[in-house]
Amino acid sequence: MRYELLDTPDFGMVRAGFDQPGEALVVESGAMVARDSGVQMKTAMRGGLGSALKRKVLGGESFFQSTFTATAPGQQIYVAPGAEGDVLPLELDGSYGVLLHSGAFLAAASTVNLDTKWGGARGFFSGTGFFLLRCDGVGPLFASSYGGIHAVDVGPEGYICDNHHIVGFTQGLRYTVTKVGGLGSFFLGGEGLVCRFEGQGRLWMSTRNGRSLAAFLHPYRRVQAKN
Amino acid sequence: MQIDVGYRPAPAMARVQLAAGESIMAETGAMVGMSTNVHIQTGMGKRGIMGGLKRVFGGESFFQNTFTAQNGPGELLLAHSLCGDIVPLEMTQAGFLIQSSSYIASAPWVDIDTKVGGFKTFFGGEGLFVLKATTTHPGQILVGAFGGIQELQCDGDLVIDTGHLVCWDATLDYSVGKSAEGWIATFLSGEGLVCHFRGQGRIWIQTRNPSEYGGLVGRMLPPRKR
Repeated sequence: MRYELLDTPDFGMVRAGFDQPGEALVVESGAMVARDSGVQMKTAMRGGLGSALKRKVLGGESFFQSTFTATAPGQQIYVAPGAEGDVLPLELDGSYGVLLHSGAFLAAASTVNLDTKWGGARGFFSGTGFFLLRCDGVGPLFASSYGGIHAVDVGPEGYICDNHHIVGFTQGLRYTVTKVGGLGSFFLGGEGLVCRFEGQGRLWMSTRNGRSLAAFLHPYRRVQAKN
Repeated sequence: MQIDVGYRPAPAMARVQLAAGESIMAETGAMVGMSTNVHIQTGMGKRGIMGGLKRVFGGESFFQNTFTAQNGPGELLLAHSLCGDIVPLEMTQAGFLIQSSSYIASAPWVDIDTKVGGFKTFFGGEGLFVLKATTTHPGQILVGAFGGIQELQCDGDLVIDTGHLVCWDATLDYSVGKSAEGWIATFLSGEGLVCHFRGQGRIWIQTRNPSEYGGLVGRMLPPRKR
């Protein structure tokens, strides 16, 4: 499978071309933009009901994922995320895995294994939806975010990232969800919970967060009349 | 302190490199990521409770965060809440006036004071709250826009929609007023309030107006409960 990224970073889109029949791309529900009519689409609860439920309930992803399978060489498919923002391509070679934040998954070759992993109680109870999708295996994987995607190589000193800005990180990095500064900073400073990463690996974060946009728009909604 | 802005213009993000012991003051919620040796301190700024209250009145948060690199150099990533460009500006003798929601960060010795745009703007619904940034030492401030940022030169006088203002040189005189002759014409024109500038100086504008955008999208969202 070959691929090309178009219109990054503002409106990233993936164009993938299949080399041989039988090659398949697993795509987040609703993310297909266009495809050759010969490409077969199959929507399924990937990994069966139990696995799909776990992904939906824990990972915040859609219940269904579509698999697009080539029937002839040279067929193409275009895939794009819902919000404006960048697409991050990762070429998994089996030597490392990646943990993606719930909602950052866009597409992956069918040879990539996807499994939902719980991010820890602290993120869960704070409502930051800190659930992770573990991706390993071999093949291309595409993640997306609202805004740009910034990569940081985490060294021995570690790195701190705002919870709402995490896109994903390489497996092997240790992380703890914590508050920054004292209690004062947590309640008054507006920075909320952060993730503290330690170990050796790479961390990707988004330069914008959808919640800020939602919070900005909320006051502009009409107010419902009282009955 | 070294500030580099990347991912311009729409998803712009600033990378601030702090030397050991160096600090930067930032709007709450602007932090994306940072090194583990950067320490956050939340306070009411140099002007205490009154300063904090004035900031709330100006549409800003009551508190501000001070980020300090401890035991060696550190880095801090800062971004604006809406999609748009970010520019660092070198402080001048006269200082700057900043439309309050455009403020992202400033050197800790830069004095940030809230000025209220006057009761006319307050009741106009498109309140123009401005912060005045002044300092006696060189330093930088970081401002963010909704959309792109354009630098205009005011030579004599210039009229700018209040919703498109980011900041301007404090050498300029400004007054907020109606965009048309009467209030009814102002209301019907949809242009809202404008800012009249007089004198010599630079004005940075944002190519999109946040309240226009809010009004456009907000109408399409389901109503919220009172």
